[in-house]
Amino acid sequence: MAGPQLDDFDRQLIEVLGRDARISNRKIAADLGVTEGTVRGRIRRLQQERLIAFTALTSLGLENPTKLAFIGVQADVGSVKEIAARIAELAQITGVLITMGRSNIIAICLFDKLEQLVEIASDQILAMPGVHHVETSIAVKTYKYNARIVKITGAGKVVDNGD
Amino acid sequence: MDKAPISMDDIDRAIVVHLRRNGRATNQQIADQLSLTAATVSARIRRMEEADALRVVAVSDFSAHGYNVLLEIAIEVDGRPASEVAEALTLLPEVFAVHLVTGRYDIDILVALHDFEELSDLMMNKLARIGGIRSLMPAIAIDVVKYEFDVAPIEAKGM
Repeated sequence: MAGPQLDDFDRQLIEVLGRDARISNRKIAADLGVTEGTVRGRIRRLQQERLIAFTALTSLGLENPTKLAFIGVQADVGSVKEIAARIAELAQITGVLITMGRSNIIAICLFDKLEQLVEIASDQILAMPGVHHVETSIAVKTYKYNARIVKITGAGKVVDNGD
Repeated sequence: MDKAPISMDDIDRAIVVHLRRNGRATNQQIADQLSLTAATVSARIRRMEEADALRVVAVSDFSAHGYNVLLEIAIEVDGRPASEVAEALTLLPEVFAVHLVTGRYDIDILVALHDFEELSDLMMNKLARIGGIRSLMPAIAIDVVKYEFDVAPIEAKGM
């Protein structure tokens, strides 16, 4: 698979902005020894190619549901794409992967109460036609979580006012 | 390190909504939209960041790093506390997430590799050397249908 062409400057930009996206173009330019225009242009290109996106991460448990669970779904192979798309529409599902392995869909669910998880897994997902089995696994402790490297889906929206 | 949890009010929430749309908006732009001063916006953001309630960051795509293979692996532990095995797994750079979980397996990890050739090194030289791993049940991601990334355990290692 041919990857995107990134040079050392792109990688430095990703590193700097991955720590703190609020840093101004002027500061980045001064730190990396380039002009503000270069910084602005590169950021725009990386956004257009969907290699980076800017976001505000908020912590689990503050304004958000406190717990995370994995829901493994065994679904008809012939309709796995449609089923995955339906699962992705559920509000509390934050991630959906189509997989090869012990299940063919893995969904990531955020929830507060056990009843909510059961409702999503057993009442909503299991009730979908073509779904044969669901298996939930609750994350009781998170030891590592890199939320900065992700799959950027959706439009390559360009926003940059860092100057 | 545990930090005292903070409570967020409507102003904090409104600032977060703006930052989710455009993490690079200046304090002045956010202030103008919300009828606040830039100093207030700046102080609010700093307070939330210092409490580990908020991080405004650039996230980058797996492809930007040349990661073409994504695996989820469920791990069964035997003869060693699962927490120790989880700690050992956090040290591997290709392991992106490590959760202790309930159910049939004990630990769930997310792994990103540049190509399948790296799998043998991961299996033979890295995972095989971590004591207490009884079995591995991998799942290869063949399509990412949804992947939201604006809520995360900010206090976890790797953040």
